[in-house]
Amino acid sequence: MQRQTLIVLAALTLLTTAAPAQQDAPPAQTEPQAQAPQQAQAIDTLLSRFSDNPDRFTQTDGEALYRTTCQACHMEDGKGAAGAGAHPPLAGNPKLMSKHFLAGVILTGYHGMPRFGDQMSDEQIAAVTNYVRSNFGNDFPDPITPDQVSRLRPQENED
Amino acid sequence: MTPFHPSRRQLLAMIGRVAGAGAMYQAMTSLGFAAESGYTGEVALQGPRRGRRVLILGAGIAGMAAAYEMRRAGYEVKILEYQDRSGGRCLTLRGGDRYTEMGGHEIACDFEGDGFFNPGPWRLPVHHRAVFDYCRKLGVQVNPFIIKNNKAYLHSAHAFGGRPQRIGHVEKDMRGHVSELLAKSLNQGALDGAVTAEDREMLLEGLKGWGVLDRHYAYRASDDVGGVRGWDIRPGGGLMPEKRPSEPVDLSALLQSGLWEQLFGFNSYSFEPPMFEPAGGMDAITDAFAREVSDVIQLNARVIRIAQGEAGVTVTYEDGDQGGAVREETADWCICTIPLSVLVQLEVDCSDALRKAIAAVPYASAFKVALEFRRRFWEQDDEILGGISYTDLPLVQIAYPSYGFLSDGPAVLQAAYDTATAGRNFTYSWSTMTPQERIDAALALGRRIHPQYDAEFMSGTSWVWHRVDWSLGCYGQWTEELRDAHYTTLCEIDNRLVLAGEHCSHIPAWLEGSLLSALDAIKRLDQRENA
Repeated sequence: MQRQTLIVLAALTLLTTAAPAQQDAPPAQTEPQAQAPQQAQAIDTLLSRFSDNPDRFTQTDGEALYRTTCQACHMEDGKGAAGAGAHPPLAGNPKLMSKHFLAGVILTGYHGMPRFGDQMSDEQIAAVTNYVRSNFGNDFPDPITPDQVSRLRPQENED
Repeated sequence: MTPFHPSRRQLLAMIGRVAGAGAMYQAMTSLGFAAESGYTGEVALQGPRRGRRVLILGAGIAGMAAAYEMRRAGYEVKILEYQDRSGGRCLTLRGGDRYTEMGGHEIACDFEGDGFFNPGPWRLPVHHRAVFDYCRKLGVQVNPFIIKNNKAYLHSAHAFGGRPQRIGHVEKDMRGHVSELLAKSLNQGALDGAVTAEDREMLLEGLKGWGVLDRHYAYRASDDVGGVRGWDIRPGGGLMPEKRPSEPVDLSALLQSGLWEQLFGFNSYSFEPPMFEPAGGMDAITDAFAREVSDVIQLNARVIRIAQGEAGVTVTYEDGDQGGAVREETADWCICTIPLSVLVQLEVDCSDALRKAIAAVPYASAFKVALEFRRRFWEQDDEILGGISYTDLPLVQIAYPSYGFLSDGPAVLQAAYDTATAGRNFTYSWSTMTPQERIDAALALGRRIHPQYDAEFMSGTSWVWHRVDWSLGCYGQWTEELRDAHYTTLCEIDNRLVLAGEHCSHIPAWLEGSLLSALDAIKRLDQRENA
C-alpha cells in the first residue's frame, strides 16, 4: 500500500508541468534579527530538545532522551512531584532494581504514563533506561542491552 | 527544497483521507474523535422513593452536571473537589492569574488586554448537542469560532523558502491540479471502464467548473481562476490599476511541500464549520454550572480513600480548609469523576476488573502556549481574522482570536498547541520545559511564520497537562484494544460506585464526552435505585 502510494505520488509529480512561482503570497520571511550570540545559542540548545522527526524520537543519547521525555513528569532532578496525584521519583526508587521492569514501563507505559515503545528504538529504550539507573543517585551495575529490550517488546508495538 | 518524505503513518493517513474516507473514519471512531454525540435530549430521572444521598467526587463538568440533574430529581447531593475552584479541565486564564505547576514553577499570566487563554477545551462542534443544550438552558452566550480561515497559513520549514502559504491557495490549487489530471485521464479514455460515455461527459463538464479549468481542461491563471483563488492586483475602483489574477502554485511543489497533508485536518467531522465558543472564555460553561450547584461543592477536599459496602459508601478526604484534617463523608451512592491517572493512586474498594480498568488507561500529553502582542499584526498586516495556521515546526499551530476583531491594543494568540493523539512527539518535549522556556521556544519558532513577533511581543503564558497534579495528563488515551478489554467494566456500576468523565466516553477530551458520561451514569444509578 505504501509502495503503491509512492508510485502514484511520483506519477502525479511527473505529469505536472512547471508553473510560474506563486504570487499574492504572504510577506517573505525575514531573517531573524541579530541576537546576542549567547542568547542565540541558548535558543538553539532549547530547540534541539525537539526531535527532527515528529514520529520517532531522534535523540540517541540517554540523557538527551530523558531531557526530552521523562523530565516532563519526573523532573530535572529525577525526584518526581506530588500533589493530588504524584509522578513517582526515579531517584532512589527500589523498583528500578529491575532493569527489565523499567525498560518495560518505558516500552508499554504504566498506569497513567503513556508508552514510548512505538516512538523509540530498542537502542534508545536501552540508553534512557541505563541513564536513569545510573543517575539521580542511582548506581545499578547491570545495564540493559538493546537485544534485551527487543525481547521485552510486545508484538503490537512493532511498526 | 527538501523533499517531503512522508512516514508510513502519514501515508496511510493520506490514503485514508484522500482515497477512502471510510477507512479513516473507522480508525478515528475507534479513537472516539469522529464519534457522533449520543445525546437524545434532557435526561429524565424518576428520583428516589425515599431520601437518598449521592456523593460526587470532582467539580468538573461531569460532576457538576450530575449534581445539577440528580438534585432536580430529588436526590441529596454533595461534591468534594480537590482544587480551590470548580470547572476541572475546563478553565480560562486571564491577566493576573497564577498557577504553580508540578515541579514548583509558577505559571504567570500577565495579559494587559482582554485576551484570554483556554488551556483545555476551546471550541465547540455543533453536533455536541448536550453542551449546546446546557448552554441554552444555563444562559451561556456562544459566539462563532472561526475554525477554518482561507487566509490563514500552511507552513513548512522545508518548502517555499520557509514562506507560509495561504490555506485557500493550497486548497484551490490542489483541486485545480487534480481536476486537470482527472480530465486528462478521462479524455485519453483511461477511465472508460469505470464510467459510461454519458457520465464521462458530465464529469468533464463538472471538473471544468469544480477545478476552474479552461476550455482545454487546463488549470492556469485566468480571470476565472482569479475569481476563485484571488488576485495579484485586486479589482479596484475609479482609475485604479487593471486587475491581474494570481498564479497557481505548481502541483509538484505543493506535493513535495507536505502542505497538502496539513489541509486534511479540516476534513474532520469534529472540526466541521461552523464551530462556536462561549463569549469571554471557555470557563463560562463551567461557571454556569457552578452557579447552579456551588452551594453543594466543598472545595479544597482531597479524596484519599473510597470504601464501599452493601449499605453505602464512605469517602475519606483531607479537608484543606481545616489544616488537612482527615474527614469522612457517607452516602448511598458515589459518582467518581476523578481522572483515572489520579484515581489509580488512591485506595478504592471495587472489583478486581474495575481496578484493572482504572490502571489500564494512559493519559495523553498535551500543552499550549499563549502570547500577548501589542497589536493585531495578523489582522492588520496579514489579513488573517480568526482561524488557525498550521506548520511542521514543533509549535504545530497558531490560533488567532475569533473575538475583538479590528480592535486596537493588545491581543492574544494561542501560539503553540498539540496533543499526543496526532502521534507527534513534540508535546512531550514542550512538557519538559520550564514556563519561561516554553515562551522562548514559541517565540523563536513562531517568528519564522510571523516576523512581527520580535517587535510586538508583550508577555506569554502556557499550560502543560502532565504538570497538573489533579489530572497527571490531559485525557484518557484509549486504543481499540484497551476499549475492548476495559471500557464496559469502567462504565458499569460497581456496587455503590460509578465512574464518570471524558474517560468514560467515546468522545475523549471533549466536554460532550464528559456530559454524556455523567448523564448516562446518573440514568443507570436512578434505574438501579428504582429497580
